Amino acid sequence: MAASLSPAPLPPGLLGALDVGVLEFQPTSHAFRLLGEAPPWLAQVWPALLDTPDDLHPEEAFLFLECFLPDAEAFWQAHASGQLASGPWTEVGADGQEWTLEAVALGVEGRPVLLLRFPVISHERMHTILQASREQTLVHHHLLSEVNRREVALHCIIHDLSNPLAGIRGSLQLMQETQASEEEQELLLDLGLRQTDRMQQMIRGILAAYAEERRTGLPVNFDDAYLPDALQATRDVVAALSPAAALKGVTFQVQPLPAEQATWRVLGEPTRLERVLFNLAENALRHAPIETDITVALHDDGSHIEVRVEDAGPGVPEGLIPQLFQQFAQGTETPGQAGLGLYFCRLVVEAWGGQIGYRPAQTGGACFWFRLPKPS
Amino acid sequence: MVRKKICMLGTSAVGKTSLVKRFVQGVFSEQYLTTIGVKIDKKTVELAGGAMELLLWDLNGEDRFQRLSMTYLRGCAGYLLVVDGTRLMTLDPALLLHQRAQATLGEVPAILLFNKADLSDQWAFEPTVLAQFESQGWTVFQTSAKMGTGVDEAFHALAHRLR
Repeated sequence: MAASLSPAPLPPGLLGALDVGVLEFQPTSHAFRLLGEAPPWLAQVWPALLDTPDDLHPEEAFLFLECFLPDAEAFWQAHASGQLASGPWTEVGADGQEWTLEAVALGVEGRPVLLLRFPVISHERMHTILQASREQTLVHHHLLSEVNRREVALHCIIHDLSNPLAGIRGSLQLMQETQASEEEQELLLDLGLRQTDRMQQMIRGILAAYAEERRTGLPVNFDDAYLPDALQATRDVVAALSPAAALKGVTFQVQPLPAEQATWRVLGEPTRLERVLFNLAENALRHAPIETDITVALHDDGSHIEVRVEDAGPGVPEGLIPQLFQQFAQGTETPGQAGLGLYFCRLVVEAWGGQIGYRPAQTGGACFWFRLPKPS
Repeated sequence: MVRKKICMLGTSAVGKTSLVKRFVQGVFSEQYLTTIGVKIDKKTVELAGGAMELLLWDLNGEDRFQRLSMTYLRGCAGYLLVVDGTRLMTLDPALLLHQRAQATLGEVPAILLFNKADLSDQWAFEPTVLAQFESQGWTVFQTSAKMGTGVDEAFHALAHRLR
């Protein structure tokens, strides 16, 4: 017959080695008695512990327990299962040293036991705290970089606005200080007005990008009756830019001719589509060498309309391509732009379910393209 | 000597621990160290009727990470309700804590502190807001744990009401 096996008894110093003080509550006297060996720290912070180990009143040593012990007594009386933890509290010892502790009430074979220990944090709690802390760190870093980017942008905007302002001031000063002829005065006025147009255009660009940012994430509802025709919008934009192009000897070539397809309607909104096209065409015009062509080509692939704007300029340096459609992206050789034009285009096109991008043109210049879904 | 338990209530990072530290030790640290659970300090104040020992229960600020257990208020004779004067959003949670404290303790003396008064360039509350609370019967102090402004006065004002 096999002998029944029973586990070996716990070594008496185990609880002390675990840094846990164990007290048993005595309901008749409302006092506690020490069980086992007390950890050294407990004797240090509570010197009376070893003087009267059978008649202990921990609430006198630890004021915090005045709050916890009534709950612990109720817990013991209810013979509840599990544990009741006090949560951490911090004691300041007579020597000024701080001790953060935790009390736990539990029943062991019907005996009311109080543990005094250093706080234990559960894996779940630690996970929650670390998760939140790391999320906050990410948000903090994001905000710092956003603040930094906005500071740079603010300086760029101020710099870009100050150039035309200097031009206006120069024109006015010349009018004031010189005996200009009527014809020269008109010329100076025209110069000043053109600078105000530049400033106005920049401010509109900034406001448009801001308004588009505010729309980001909002549901988009297309009005079927007012869906824009991409080819018509292209022709309107090209017509608006033609005088400036003519001054530079640049010619816009729009493909295809209107007769080739009856409709080039896309999912979008007419005004903002024109602004996207204007930004891309105006960008091409700025970089196109004199006496060259800019091609604006439309292609229907069945589900989408793709628009490509190609110039014969130097193209975009490879290092700048990844940031092209980011907020405040600026080329080193493109003063006078707040770096929001392409960013605005991306926000609009993506909000309408399309894509936008850049690739070097086969002719060596720049090719900006975007695709928008056609209405079903 | 009479002993009274005073609690510090308010959401996290409004300066409760700094106020206690300034009052008890007369020091201030720029470093923010969040309070976990409860920290208890003591300070004896001299009042007209004799000395009173204040047991200062500095309770953790309540936020999404830590909920404040109302059992900590057991035996509390009065409390300081602390708002960060530079953050409007710390007022509502403080008033909610006040309601919960009243539900637990009944009507006990309470004083409203708008802390961080040294950060005048970031101050978020119009003077009319403070006046409005005063007109509702609150005793209101603008305090700065950093400079010490209003700190002793606030604790003493509460102690006087506990006599």
